[in-house]
Amino acid sequence: MSEENLFRLRVSYVKHGRLRYLGHLELIHTVERIVRRAQLPYAVTQGFSPHMKIAFSSALPVGTASDCEWYDVFLTRYVPAAEAFDALAAASPADLAPARAGYVERREPALEAALTRARYRVALTLAAPSARDAARAEEVLAAVVARREVRYLRGRKVKRIDLVCTFVGAKLAPGGGVWELALDTRSSAEGALRPEVLLRAWEKALALETAGAPGTPAAELVEEALADPLDVRPYGVFAHCEITRVFQKIEDKRGILVEPLPLAAHPAR
Amino acid sequence: MRPAYEDLFHLIEPLLPQVEKPSRYIDHEWGTLSKPEARFRVCLMYPDTYEVGLPNQGIAILYRILNGEEGISCERGYLPWVDMADKMREAGVPLLSLEGAAPVASFDVLGMHVPHEMAATNFLEAFDLAGIPQLSGERGEDDPIVIAGGPSVYNVEPLAPFFDAVLIGEGEEHIVEVCRELERSRDAGLTRAERLEALAQVPGTYVPGLYDVTYAADAPHGFATPRAGTRAPAVVYKRVAADFAATDPLAQSIVPYTELVHDRLSVEVLRGCARGCRFCQAGITYRPVRERSADQVVAAVVRGLARTGYDEVSLTSLSTTDHSQCERMLERLNERLADTGISVSIPSQRLDSFDPEMAEAVAGGKKGGLTFAVEAGSQRLRDVINKNVTEEDLDRAMRAAFEAGWRRVKLYFMMGLPTETDEDIVGIARLADHVIDLAQEVVPKNQRGSVSVSASVAVFVPKAHTPFQWVGQLEREEVKRRQRLLIHSVRHKSVRVHYHDADVSLLEAVLSRGGRGIAPVIQEAWRRGARFDAWTEHFNLERWREAAAACGVDLDAVACTPYEIGMRLPWEQTSPGVSPGFLEREYRRACAAETTPDCTRASCTGCGICPTLGVANKIEEVRK
Repeated sequence: MSEENLFRLRVSYVKHGRLRYLGHLELIHTVERIVRRAQLPYAVTQGFSPHMKIAFSSALPVGTASDCEWYDVFLTRYVPAAEAFDALAAASPADLAPARAGYVERREPALEAALTRARYRVALTLAAPSARDAARAEEVLAAVVARREVRYLRGRKVKRIDLVCTFVGAKLAPGGGVWELALDTRSSAEGALRPEVLLRAWEKALALETAGAPGTPAAELVEEALADPLDVRPYGVFAHCEITRVFQKIEDKRGILVEPLPLAAHPAR
Repeated sequence: MRPAYEDLFHLIEPLLPQVEKPSRYIDHEWGTLSKPEARFRVCLMYPDTYEVGLPNQGIAILYRILNGEEGISCERGYLPWVDMADKMREAGVPLLSLEGAAPVASFDVLGMHVPHEMAATNFLEAFDLAGIPQLSGERGEDDPIVIAGGPSVYNVEPLAPFFDAVLIGEGEEHIVEVCRELERSRDAGLTRAERLEALAQVPGTYVPGLYDVTYAADAPHGFATPRAGTRAPAVVYKRVAADFAATDPLAQSIVPYTELVHDRLSVEVLRGCARGCRFCQAGITYRPVRERSADQVVAAVVRGLARTGYDEVSLTSLSTTDHSQCERMLERLNERLADTGISVSIPSQRLDSFDPEMAEAVAGGKKGGLTFAVEAGSQRLRDVINKNVTEEDLDRAMRAAFEAGWRRVKLYFMMGLPTETDEDIVGIARLADHVIDLAQEVVPKNQRGSVSVSASVAVFVPKAHTPFQWVGQLEREEVKRRQRLLIHSVRHKSVRVHYHDADVSLLEAVLSRGGRGIAPVIQEAWRRGARFDAWTEHFNLERWREAAAACGVDLDAVACTPYEIGMRLPWEQTSPGVSPGFLEREYRRACAAETTPDCTRASCTGCGICPTLGVANKIEEVRK
């Protein structure tokens, strides 16, 4: 089947509950099996090792949930989007249920390159709520961002992430024992900011404040906290942390955020 | 007191971010069948990690059957990997079932799969994590009844004290009878001892606690006889699903998230193999030979792919190319699955029936490596073991493979077979070299660099209920000498020789040949830290030697001392139905290098299984 005759179905789905512990490859294989179970007329690549023509949005870290994962699957036959959506819903575990489905232009850029903007919702359960001041914590977070980069340990390697490119903004909504942080990020060929990298750096600086002099300026505190990326241990500020990716969008030339699918594409259920 | 059946997932969830592959522990897979409400609960457990255990067809079959029974719910269990096990102990979390995340100790029945000998310490690890006493005799009224079954129960004596009952043979009908009997005896309020005694009346059920072991000069590892007054049978014969074609061809229902080694749909196309290789235990224990029809297989594959969404299907059996309709099945499936990216595979190919077209058809057009079991380096020794392949078969198959474009070939051999001489060892090297010579003849010059031939050599482990059951394993020093001889005999540099670890083989022989006296050694090895012995990085023979010394057992003597014909053997009371006379006759024929034909192609060879068990071979068409 020639490329011209293929239909590009774009699907968004959730990654909730226990299934947030799936790794990216596990997720990819699971979605491919869902598409086969849904009996959609998927296209197959030609050549040595034929496989389904399907492409995914960027990998989500193990343990992070999402309301907005995406894939494009190429079909050899047009299936009304609502029909495809229903078939996928019937073939999916509830925690990976499809959210929307619709067709896009065959020549649109690949999802992974196009979806550069993501927002995360982070629910932070404080270990000692009474000892924490949200305004001060926000100040410390701003000081982390002001350092323009974070060096962190991944496995046994020290890596760095450039915050100038990848950090867009953060907003803290303090509640009783749980703070909710909305974190906006931008990915590029240079890399993407994993929320937990920023959270760990922030938590480390906050932990230092508890241990040391409370009056220290935020910048100094952060400087000292982040000097040695090899120094990792439980910091004990956040008892529990739940991260959810809440949207992934396209950023157009003017900086406007565009939905990967027109909202009208949501099939009526 | 028995722990409550309740969902304790919240206890392991905080551990998940701290362990390797958390998807092993999360359940919620597609296709699970267990029920939240049930009168009788069974947990079937594979004594290794999730990804090793999940593809197991035996558990898939029983899981489906039990969940189809009214009032019974069956869940699965796997052994947590060492990181998780340690964290669970630290946190005081007991072993949980997968579906309900309920304590394994809260079930009515814990069913252990016995896949091979090397799982021995993992049973004990599982009991310990679950909080169930390791010895049957120490379990109380509130503990689950621990049953076991699987391919490796034909000398179960080394494990006997750990299990309350062992199901011998095929479980399709047996597991239901056992569970119904245990439900009945529970509801009748019988004591544990009374329930186990009653359970021994279900045909095929071995209740080790009802047997006494006697040691004598002609029974160095003891033999088991029913204790007077117990009504336990003197010999427990295996159960057989006689009408195999009437069983559900599509056992598998669960589609895992975790990536597995064998991550695909499996359809068992045939059961049993009557080729009669004399070293092979499965060749005896799975008889008679029973085929499904091509129609049944094709329909099951189509239905199974739609149900699971897999992109590969494997037509499994001990020897799939022996199926009388194998070619037709493959043709029809490949036609049906064209342009779907879905491939059909078969587990292995035989040298004497290798067909390059078929090989390509089953590999989805890919030409990866080819693997053949040659087993021995000379025709004489191949006749001894009744491996009826010839050097001409090898020649023809290799030529065809190289001509069709294959470049990588792996040959399996065994070392330490009965009557083996240095000539047979040199023969292995000669065969491997010969395959390289053939490649140089057939493969175009510019592609010769990609030719690779490897010879993988395992140490022979004598198994119960085979014609070689009396034979001892080759001593380790001699194994090492023969390994050196082999290395020095290979001419071509491009032949790679691999050995199976002789330490592992030694322990495998101990666990295959020993009696009930080995159980304390297993327990002592576990106490000293042995678990996951099937994983090279966790296996440590020294630890086993220390454990054996502490129990006054000499591992080398158990592995290597032959039994004399006529001696009492520790496995006589659990029988696949083969007649002892047949095994003895086969052993004598082996020593004389006389071969015995396949009874699905020639007449009956008198193994005794069909008349003893009241079963018969069932073949769809005449076999080639």
